[in-house]
Amino acid sequence: MLKYLKEEGLMGPRLPLLLCPGCGHGQVLNYTLHAVDRIIKEDKMAKEKLLFISGVGCSSRLTSHYLNFDSGWTIHGRALAVATGALLANPEFRVVVFSGDGDMASIGGNHFIHACRRNMDLTIVCMNNGLYGMTGGQQAPTSPRDMITTTTPYGNPEEAFDLCKMAEVAGANFVARWTTAHPHQVVKTIVKGIRKKGTAFIEILSQCPVHRKANPADMLETFKKMTVPWAKAKEEDKDKIPIGEFCDHDKPDWNASYEKILDQYKS
Amino acid sequence: MPKLWIDERYCKGCLICVEVCPTSAIASSDRINARGYVIPVEKDMSICKVCGLCELMCPDFAIAIEETDFK
Repeated sequence: MLKYLKEEGLMGPRLPLLLCPGCGHGQVLNYTLHAVDRIIKEDKMAKEKLLFISGVGCSSRLTSHYLNFDSGWTIHGRALAVATGALLANPEFRVVVFSGDGDMASIGGNHFIHACRRNMDLTIVCMNNGLYGMTGGQQAPTSPRDMITTTTPYGNPEEAFDLCKMAEVAGANFVARWTTAHPHQVVKTIVKGIRKKGTAFIEILSQCPVHRKANPADMLETFKKMTVPWAKAKEEDKDKIPIGEFCDHDKPDWNASYEKILDQYKS
Repeated sequence: MPKLWIDERYCKGCLICVEVCPTSAIASSDRINARGYVIPVEKDMSICKVCGLCELMCPDFAIAIEETDFK
């Protein structure tokens, strides 16, 4: 697998990754490459059909710098807008958007809502580490209550933004949340998301060991303890974070709806 | 016995592979690579079950495992 990734999936000479030791974003890139490899082998899909788009941030450096696929490194928060444009120009693309929580929830919040509402044929992989990692660990909209960050040294007074609920309400076809401590589930979900027509939103809780000042392996253990599969959640689990696949609809995506309208006025 | 590769140039010493290994076939060591990180070494590859978790969960693509003898 590593040999394949170095020869096919990754730009070999650009390794090692620029990320800090133990960063969860590298793990998400690893899972995504496993998923993409499975898609290419099982569906016999051409490598040129995949397009990776990212914005600005730690997580968004992954696609354009290290992947040996077609990719775009776009402006901050507007990755979804660029991905929408790419999809309108060529509906054959299977677009994967890599984004962090600052890119997706804070500056690109409106683009996120409307990409989900239009049900564009995108796969959005959102790496949520609960703070702004690249700029020094400031409080983000996704920081949980009472979390210590550099801008909230006595605890965060605000409630966190639940991106999965937002995507589901806005109209995405497929919504799931996992953590970096669930590798096989993440790979399976990304495979499902890329195959899915319509918006597939996959939030992956990722660790930032540098700004949370913790050991990465301990943070993975904490992720396992603080999450619960939503279907099995009991009364005493209400403080834990629900994980799993939240919804799986088959609503028509934007391109399909547009083709239908065009067909009415042909002939 | 499975074969383990650890690429010392890419490893950043987070030791996630050591923690996730269910059979403790990998261990941390005293060896330090060129960037100053403590790198893991193989301890006992005869107990390795080739689950592939170390390869899948490595953030830096520094480790690979391969089954060499198929039964």
